[in-house]
Amino acid sequence: MEYAIELKGITKSFGPVAANKNINLSLAKGEILALLGENGSGKTTLMNMLSGIYMPDSGSIFIDGKKVSINSPEDSGKLGIGMVHQHFKLVERFTALENIRIGMRDAGRFLHGADVRKKIEDTAAKFGFEIDLDKVVSNMAVSEKQTLEILKVLCYGAKIIILDEPTAVLTVQEIDRLFDVLRKMREEGHSIIIITHKLNEVMEISDRVAVLRHGEYIDTVVTKETNEKALTELMVGRKIELNIDCPVMEKTHPLLEIRDLTIKNDEGAVAIDHINFYIRGGEMLGVAGIAGSGQKELCEAIAGLRKIEEGQMIHEGESIVGMSPKKILEHGISMSFIPEDRLGMGLAPSLSITDNMILKNYNESKGIFVDRKTAREEAQKVIDRLEVVTPSTETPVRRLSGGNVQKVLLGREIKSGPNVLITAYPVRGLDINSSYTIYNILNEQKKKGVGILFVGEDLDVMLALCDKIMVICHGRLQGVVNSNHTTKEELGLMMTGTINIVNKDGKTDGIAKDSAFTDEEGKA
Amino acid sequence: MRRYHLVRRADSKFSRTLAFYAVGILVSLLIGAVILFALGIKPLDYYGKMFTIGLVGNRYGYKSIEGFLKIFVPLLITSLALSLSFKMRFWNIGGEGEFLIGAITASIIAFNSEGMPNFVTVLLMCLAAMISSGIIGIAIAALKVKFNTNETLMTLMINYIMLYVIRYIGETKADWNFFLREDSERPKFGTFPDSAVMTGIPIGQFKLLWSVIIAVVLTVIVYIYLKYTKQGYEISVVGDSSATAKYAGMSVGKIVLRTMFISSAMIGLAAALTVSASGTISDTVTNNVGWTGIIVAWLSKLSVPAVFVTSILISVLQYGCQAAATQYPAIDINYADLLQGLILFSVLVADFAANFKIVKKEEAKNA
Amino acid sequence: MLEVLTLFLFNIIVYNIPLLYGTTGEIMIEKSGSLNLGVEGTMAIGAVAGYLAGVKADNLLVAVLVSFIASGLVGLLFSFLTVTLQANQNVTGLTITTFGVAFYYFIGNALANSDGGWPRMNGTKLAEQAQALKIPLLSKIPFFGEAIFSHGILVYLGVIIAVLMWFYFNKTVPGLKLRAIGENPAAADSLGVNVTFYKYAHIIAGSGIMGIGGLYMGLNMGGTFEGSNCWINGYGWISIALVIFANWSPAKALLGTLVFGFFNTLRVQNAALAYAFPDALGWLTKIPSHFFSALPFIITLIVLIASSLSSKKKSGEPQAIGRNYYREDR
Repeated sequence: MEYAIELKGITKSFGPVAANKNINLSLAKGEILALLGENGSGKTTLMNMLSGIYMPDSGSIFIDGKKVSINSPEDSGKLGIGMVHQHFKLVERFTALENIRIGMRDAGRFLHGADVRKKIEDTAAKFGFEIDLDKVVSNMAVSEKQTLEILKVLCYGAKIIILDEPTAVLTVQEIDRLFDVLRKMREEGHSIIIITHKLNEVMEISDRVAVLRHGEYIDTVVTKETNEKALTELMVGRKIELNIDCPVMEKTHPLLEIRDLTIKNDEGAVAIDHINFYIRGGEMLGVAGIAGSGQKELCEAIAGLRKIEEGQMIHEGESIVGMSPKKILEHGISMSFIPEDRLGMGLAPSLSITDNMILKNYNESKGIFVDRKTAREEAQKVIDRLEVVTPSTETPVRRLSGGNVQKVLLGREIKSGPNVLITAYPVRGLDINSSYTIYNILNEQKKKGVGILFVGEDLDVMLALCDKIMVICHGRLQGVVNSNHTTKEELGLMMTGTINIVNKDGKTDGIAKDSAFTDEEGKA
Repeated sequence: MRRYHLVRRADSKFSRTLAFYAVGILVSLLIGAVILFALGIKPLDYYGKMFTIGLVGNRYGYKSIEGFLKIFVPLLITSLALSLSFKMRFWNIGGEGEFLIGAITASIIAFNSEGMPNFVTVLLMCLAAMISSGIIGIAIAALKVKFNTNETLMTLMINYIMLYVIRYIGETKADWNFFLREDSERPKFGTFPDSAVMTGIPIGQFKLLWSVIIAVVLTVIVYIYLKYTKQGYEISVVGDSSATAKYAGMSVGKIVLRTMFISSAMIGLAAALTVSASGTISDTVTNNVGWTGIIVAWLSKLSVPAVFVTSILISVLQYGCQAAATQYPAIDINYADLLQGLILFSVLVADFAANFKIVKKEEAKNA
Repeated sequence: MLEVLTLFLFNIIVYNIPLLYGTTGEIMIEKSGSLNLGVEGTMAIGAVAGYLAGVKADNLLVAVLVSFIASGLVGLLFSFLTVTLQANQNVTGLTITTFGVAFYYFIGNALANSDGGWPRMNGTKLAEQAQALKIPLLSKIPFFGEAIFSHGILVYLGVIIAVLMWFYFNKTVPGLKLRAIGENPAAADSLGVNVTFYKYAHIIAGSGIMGIGGLYMGLNMGGTFEGSNCWINGYGWISIALVIFANWSPAKALLGTLVFGFFNTLRVQNAALAYAFPDALGWLTKIPSHFFSALPFIITLIVLIASSLSSKKKSGEPQAIGRNYYREDR
């Protein structure tokens, strides 16, 4: 077989952490290779060494059989490698054309050449892209931005194309379209590496699958000769208990009731559009939706971090609209939001675990001084209970690994004994074991009678873990379903807005029978 | 193929940083020595004079200490104040402007204090200066918080606006202008009545001004404030991640406003103490502490004890240069600024060396 | 009457062209995503180095080249510290100003106190070359000819630099790449743009341009060194303000130079204007000159605040300004 890429013995460390250990990997010409691995298994790091972002500490790279050294993205581009990063690398204030133009080689020194536009349009037509070259990136939807990113590398004549989790931000239909494009690219002789951790996609699109685990290369298998179960085993290394616990609890009265809620996002567009729902004690309510459907805004609004436009939010019969984040916290609503960069919100990265423990209640101790003695004890308790791996309580949280950071965050939230827990993407970036630890923590809380709002990404997990799932699409409620009585397909269709089952069959979804709202309030 | 590349060190050892810094300072002194040598001056002799700030073999050595302290006190307080706002990642480079505002308000009281008790006058001067400078600080912070106006550029503009305000006061003869001497044809700043001049504890011939004591006490207070109080804790959270602070229920706006008030008010205090100690005001009253303070704060990595030590070092440099100028007329105070720049440059290099290391790339065996 | 106005316009240009150099230089640097607060110091070093070399060689071209190179070296220092060593830009810039101005005085005083004294330019060829040259035909245009087309060669050079820079930013590929770096260095990097090289090159070039502005100030002062007054005299700081006023556009920098220059000239010439037009402009003498001096900073402060109040995203401020870029940062 002829290989487009061969990696031999690649090792890369960040400080004491080895992200890639002695990796051997090959990409045949004209194939689609899926690079499979859990989050944190070193996929992106490995690909970033092909795209020139990182340099390997040791090992060698062969392109078309020739040994090469990739010291910069420029080198990478010259070798015909193009990478579509998970976080788009686009200049927001430039147009599509300008963005493509930046990296175009051999197209003259001056802008506004008609031939350049022609060339781009031809490439777009060849692969069936529809794109407005004069649209400014900041006005583009996510899928448009991704189209632009792919078009970009094709215009640069890349023969080897790497896509880092391209499907994470797309709807089902958009994924189909993307896969069509990838197949067309394969027909044209391009070699493609696609990073993903969605097995169904791997089975659908790839010719072969390479698996990484904890920074080590495990195996490459031919897709046709394998199945999802076998791949999962390769990925996690052993048979895993796929069943997530979902203890059934006696549900109490509605703790948090949301009525007719409308919220705008930072750009002033409507992010959440007249939504009704409620959470009872001892219940876990999942929130499903494509990334960016208003989840972030919803969480922020409940935590008092974002102004609401319209509607009511009632916690145990008392309105929390307009309350400060602090007041809401004192009410017993606790939020742990894991943003994309994991440390941006919820934790102060340079501060110690001790200092992060008291982030929300440092003000409760008497006097003007911070009570670090108690804080240290609490930190130790969380470390012991959730098995946080850390040298000491005084270690800055930025030095901890992703899973441990999330444990610290969740440990603090639980410590304050809330009765409503809002948690968004709590297992993002965690390995299976850490994820299970987190699920257990949440279930323990549920058993205590806490009402939990679980904003998640993985439908399988949500179906197993949550009692009910509410689906939003573009900020609108698509329905609330019992997780025992629904399917992944149904959820997927609701997420993309294909079906809407709100108030079907005379139900009034999202409004509790024993609501604490009086009639007038409910109507308001 | 590049065989070496830079990697950020995972740990930071205090001793290593200190060693690199020491080397950095030594290197800059060496460069300074080369400059001196080029001008035909024996570097060791000059440095000897400079670092002893004219104490050795001087019958009036106490005067040297007094002169040194006059530079040290405002620099120390201003650097502390700036560290406070930098810790919050608030780029207050308006030390000069805030200092001038404080100096002007303190002088307004001073010039009108004839017959008032000394203690009361000086106290009033300090309070007025702190409030007026503090208000400017709050105004800037409010614009930043409310509209995200660029604070670096805002404070920069204020520095220059205030510079022209004090020049205007100092160069305009008018009936209302009580800042100027009445007995002089040319506009000239007057001197304060005795009621507004800082007193101190006499130790032999040497007089330990109250301002020095205040500055040292303030250093301890700021240290405790940042390290142990809730407000200090809030500053470090906001500085680390303001999104996190908001999420934790802190009102970030209030904290920024409060800290900027304290920071600017401290600079105002430094100004009041300075004009009171010197008994007059001028358009060069700041002695550039607003700028030098930034360098001191940065050299000290915003640590309070380090600010104390660095302020001493920089003051020795500046006063030492002045003192040595009597013997070396070719070398003036600008040499201190030159050296200061060199020290910062080399310490920046040292800081990098302490935080990064060069790693050799290994070839895989099977390659 | 008309002579007064002609002279006024002439003075706006002749005394404020250094602002154009300082501003265009700083725009070039800021477009690469770096905020350099060392304009004053960079200009001071370019001025003293260029002047001394120019007098020694008795040649304007040498003076210009040396001032460009000397300030370019300062730019190299800034790039090395902030781009390679990732040092804080504010602190580095401010230190360059402290250092640069001290360097100016230090060299000046050392020379003034030396046996030969401070070298003068009176009667040299250098002075002759720097002199105003009347552009044929254009300088004959009534009123404007005298005011606009009768200047030293460095005035025209400044204008040419501004125009070329506008063209470079908006019409060329390297200009596009530079702007991309200022907006989003990670994106530019991933497209194979050599971010480090671009930053170094443009910081050095921008600093060099500032240096020529410094040289111009020295020449315009007749090359006399005063121990207490720096040639640059705050023009570097006004330039930083002017960058904001010009909304990071070299073309608007031309206009802004005239506006700020107008106030600057008003400060010096208010008496002449009031004398020439006692009825219309008599009130000018009542305004203290300090007000005009402070006006550029007051205006910029207002522009700063006003532009942050209006939420329009048309600001030319590079989005990544002031932040250092390190490729492997995670």
